[in-house]
Amino acid sequence: MELIKTVNLHKRFGNLTVLKGVTETIHQGEVVTIIGPSGGGKSTFLRCLNLLEQPEEGKIFFNGREITGNLTKEEKQAIRNRQMPKPPKVNIDLHRQKMGMVFQQFNVFPHLTVAENIMLAPKLLKGMSEADAQILARDLLARVGLLDKYHEMPGNLSGGQKQRLAIVRAMAVEPEVMLFDEPTSALDPEMVGEVLDVIKALAKSGMTCVIVTHEMGFAREVSDRVLFIADGNILEQGPPAEFFDHPRHPRLQDFLKKVL
Amino acid sequence: MDFSNIGNNIIKLMTQYWKVFLLDGLSHTLLLTLIAVFFGVALGSLVAMCKMSRFWFIRFPISVYIEVIRGTPILLQLYVFYFMIPQMLPFLRLSPFMWVAVALCINSSAYVSEVIRSGIQAVDQGQTEAARSLGLSAGQTMRKIVMPQAIKNILPALGNEFIMILKETSLASTFFVGDLMTKYLEIKGATYLGFECLIIVGCIYLCVTFPLSKLVESFERKMSGKAGAKKAGTGGAV
Repeated sequence: MELIKTVNLHKRFGNLTVLKGVTETIHQGEVVTIIGPSGGGKSTFLRCLNLLEQPEEGKIFFNGREITGNLTKEEKQAIRNRQMPKPPKVNIDLHRQKMGMVFQQFNVFPHLTVAENIMLAPKLLKGMSEADAQILARDLLARVGLLDKYHEMPGNLSGGQKQRLAIVRAMAVEPEVMLFDEPTSALDPEMVGEVLDVIKALAKSGMTCVIVTHEMGFAREVSDRVLFIADGNILEQGPPAEFFDHPRHPRLQDFLKKVL
Repeated sequence: MDFSNIGNNIIKLMTQYWKVFLLDGLSHTLLLTLIAVFFGVALGSLVAMCKMSRFWFIRFPISVYIEVIRGTPILLQLYVFYFMIPQMLPFLRLSPFMWVAVALCINSSAYVSEVIRSGIQAVDQGQTEAARSLGLSAGQTMRKIVMPQAIKNILPALGNEFIMILKETSLASTFFVGDLMTKYLEIKGATYLGFECLIIVGCIYLCVTFPLSKLVESFERKMSGKAGAKKAGTGGAV
């Protein structure tokens, strides 16, 4: 089943066009990793999926519903001629609840305890009771080995622990897809493993994951499909074995030569 | 000038006029400061919000307001509010004290708005993104995530603003509104002991501002201590 579909996605920052018409479909339960050179548009593509960046052009369908509010020229014309009703405004906050996101810089909330970081969104957005939220927080923290940090402030956690907290915080609202934006790039080398293990477990549990990463070994091991994004477009994609062992596009061959 | 009797004269002045200095002068100075800071913060919050507005037609006039207030001397603003505005708005019958208070509020609002705005913008953009990605609305993000963190940047700066305004109220003595500096002028005129009066008044100002600035300092240290612990926690991210 198609979960996320992007059609002809364009994103510009000033004069710089970062995405140049990305069209891609991500299916439910699929684990997709995105690799590519810096500045190629990987992170921007990911951030467009939950509209942290609003694409200027193109559409994003999530569970079949268009969420960008962007219209094609033909549609604008049709609306002007009253051949088509104006589409209702989408409530992006509701869609974002279904797309968990994990950031390179963790972005845990430093003024809340570890447990409060997790409980905030379920209580605020889903009206969950304090007691239920606490059970949820304990359950999630136990899954990533942080139960003993329940009452701590995030300032006392290591980078790896912060990132594990950020992952379960995103999962607390029961998203249908998890987006990871270079989740291990800001970590000390010895902490990369513990975070990747959590993501692997999540991927194995059947969660749809889209992961931007520089960890090639991890990408090869965990993903169903790998995308190579450079120059604002997907230049090549495929199952990891074929993708890494027999790259076809010269840009990908060049990139892999440099990083492997 | 004879300096030998300064000590005695100060004691004499204090025994005779302490009520005038403290109960009359200092109380008016503090009242003026409290009014200016309270309404300055209220108005300043509003101004800060407008300055961060999405709409240029709100942002632009507010930027002009802030720049004009911050770019002109406070004494000039006091003149405007003391002489010009009452003539332009004759139906507003306020006492000179209140006109001075209004001028100080307006002045303070411009500075406070910049304090609030920079305090909010100093909160890492990633915090907002994380909150929005969880599905919080812009308002919820501001209330639950950004403001609680911004307040730690804002409070010490507001303390400093209070101290600044307290000192600036002395300019109000230009219009004899009864503040501490006005009392200096009055008692100097009555006793011809200008030098001693100046020392007394200076000490009274110091007795208020010094503990306040120490308080602000210790608060800042506490906050930066916490931030330091946070930095150590993230480890050396490359």
